[in-house]
Amino acid sequence: MIRFESLNKVWPDGTHAIRDVSLEVPRGQFCVILGPSGAGKSTLLRAVNGLMQPSSGRVVIDGTELSVKTQSALRRRVAMVHQHFNLTNRMSVAANVLAGLLPTVSTMRAMSGWFRPEHRQKACELLAQVGLSPAHLKRRAGDLSGGQQQRVGIARAFMLDPEVVLADEPVASLDPKISSDILSLIRDAARERNATVLCSLHQVELAREFGDRIVGMRDGQVVFDGSPEAFTDECVESLYHGAVWDDAQPEEDDADSSVDLSTTNVSLI
Amino acid sequence: MTTRPIPVPPKGAEVKWHLSPPYSARHLLWLVLIVALLLVTGQRTDMDRMVAMTTQAVGNLIGVADDSQVVRGLSRVGTAMWPPVIGEVEEVNRMGDLDRDRLPLFSYIEVQERVEQRMNLETLQLEATTEQVEVLVKPLGYVWTVFVKMIETLEIALWGTLLSVVLSIPLAYFAARNYSANRFTYTAARGFISLLRSVPELIVALFLVLAYGFGPIAGVLALGLHAAGFLGKFYAEDIENADKKPQEALEAIGAGKIKTLWYGVLPQVLPQYIAYTAYIMDRNLRMATVVGLVGAGGIGQELKGRFDMFQYGHVMTILIAIFVFVFLLDQLQARIRARLI
Ligand SMILES: Nc1ncnc2c1ncn2[C@@H]1O[C@H](COP(=O)(O)OP(=O)(O)OP(=O)(O)O)[C@@H](O)[C@H]1O
Ligand SMILES: [Mg+2]
Repeated sequence: MIRFESLNKVWPDGTHAIRDVSLEVPRGQFCVILGPSGAGKSTLLRAVNGLMQPSSGRVVIDGTELSVKTQSALRRRVAMVHQHFNLTNRMSVAANVLAGLLPTVSTMRAMSGWFRPEHRQKACELLAQVGLSPAHLKRRAGDLSGGQQQRVGIARAFMLDPEVVLADEPVASLDPKISSDILSLIRDAARERNATVLCSLHQVELAREFGDRIVGMRDGQVVFDGSPEAFTDECVESLYHGAVWDDAQPEEDDADSSVDLSTTNVSLI
Repeated sequence: MTTRPIPVPPKGAEVKWHLSPPYSARHLLWLVLIVALLLVTGQRTDMDRMVAMTTQAVGNLIGVADDSQVVRGLSRVGTAMWPPVIGEVEEVNRMGDLDRDRLPLFSYIEVQERVEQRMNLETLQLEATTEQVEVLVKPLGYVWTVFVKMIETLEIALWGTLLSVVLSIPLAYFAARNYSANRFTYTAARGFISLLRSVPELIVALFLVLAYGFGPIAGVLALGLHAAGFLGKFYAEDIENADKKPQEALEAIGAGKIKTLWYGVLPQVLPQYIAYTAYIMDRNLRMATVVGLVGAGGIGQELKGRFDMFQYGHVMTILIAIFVFVFLLDQLQARIRARLI
């Protein structure tokens, strides 16, 4: 279970990226975070593994508060899938997947690349699970297509059997069919291990399809929190309306913009 | 909820921008300053005399000017240096342990007549006496000596490069802002790198010869230390500029600095590292021929010795050898490059 307790983040430049967010995500839930660009989705996800230090508030994972002391132990239990895959492009697919084990192997073993047979076996199994073939093992990660690279990223993320998977727009640069495949892979692998998934997305349809729960964020605040069924088109409208990039919306919608989030907001907390 | 629209000027509003011309009076002022500076420094470095003397030399060569100091100097050196020395002759009775049944390759023993001027003590006059001297003739003897020295030069360059790589790896780690342990180690590593880079090989070699004596040790150390400064700086900058994405992925799972460097940075920077190291090897090969001038081994030491003994024929052989050496290296390099691309 992940618990955010009145989390705040103010960047040094004064941007208030997260405003008093309190959330509780139970173990095994696939929680989708939606919201316009700059809403603070990435910032929130990065609070979970300490890539971002909150200005105030706490993050508690299964009873352990994230702090300087617990961070390195917690990071092993929290995997991350990145929007840009974040693979080492000039390294082989196999090495990229094995890199997922780095926190648990000795420096000597890591540098020599001499991983235990069972670990190599596990890398192969995970690669098979995400739909790659043995022919890909020795290929350079950077030479693969985006969809294939994200599959490698998922295999890497699950090498340590994480309890939490953070996926920050994992399908932002992939086509619709592959996006759906990738999200299924994340969901299935997570279910198998009863892992919690926090996944930020920009595609409402995918959010409805895959999410057990949808959290809508805007300007650093949680403005919607409920089941996919409760996340109606009206909610979508009000979540995204008026965002800087959205100039397709006609002016007269302004009146509705205060669509009562309060009435549609189905709080789980 | 506050959202800000993108600011766009209203239609019909006057746009108060303007684009100034590329040059202004300030540029002209700078130009005048630069020319003045060039004139002053040119005067101080005798550039005017250089132009005059060179013009005179060219004139002399095409038959316009009767005399040229430059041409005279060059032709004097030229005559002294020609022909290059190829063989070697040694007097047998000066060689302690010559095994007559096993002479060195291609060499033979010959009896030569030597005419020597001796003072006759009775008449107090110079008399020419002819002596029969047995000598060992090595027709390619000096070429062989130079060849062996060239190999030594190559070895100095190789070990210098190896040393610089080994030294620069830890240096680069501490000189990379995003991996160095703290500000102190970063500043210390950067300072040390600057220090290494700031002293030219030849000067380092000069001092190392005092410490280690004549020979290749000083040469290897001089090349290695200077190049470690160069490589340390460039390795470190590549680490700093490497793509952050894979590093972030490894940091996010808590992989630790060394392992992140190995898996997230090294594969990215390796091609550049190889290019830098190849450049250092190339540079060291050229520098290895020079450090011998101060006694740090290799062909340079031979060159300096012969030069000081006015044996210009030997010097010529060495110069030709260096030229051939560098030429062959360039060919080799071109070949390797062609294969890699
Ligand atoms: N390192 C940083 N320094 C300063 N401000 C930052 C930094 N990272 C993010 N921000 C700011 O914090 C706010 C939230 O950013 P965040 O990346 O969390 O948004 P997001 O919801 O992930 O957007 P997107 O959908 O475009 O990824 C933005 O206003 C952004 O400019
Ligand atoms: Mg983001």
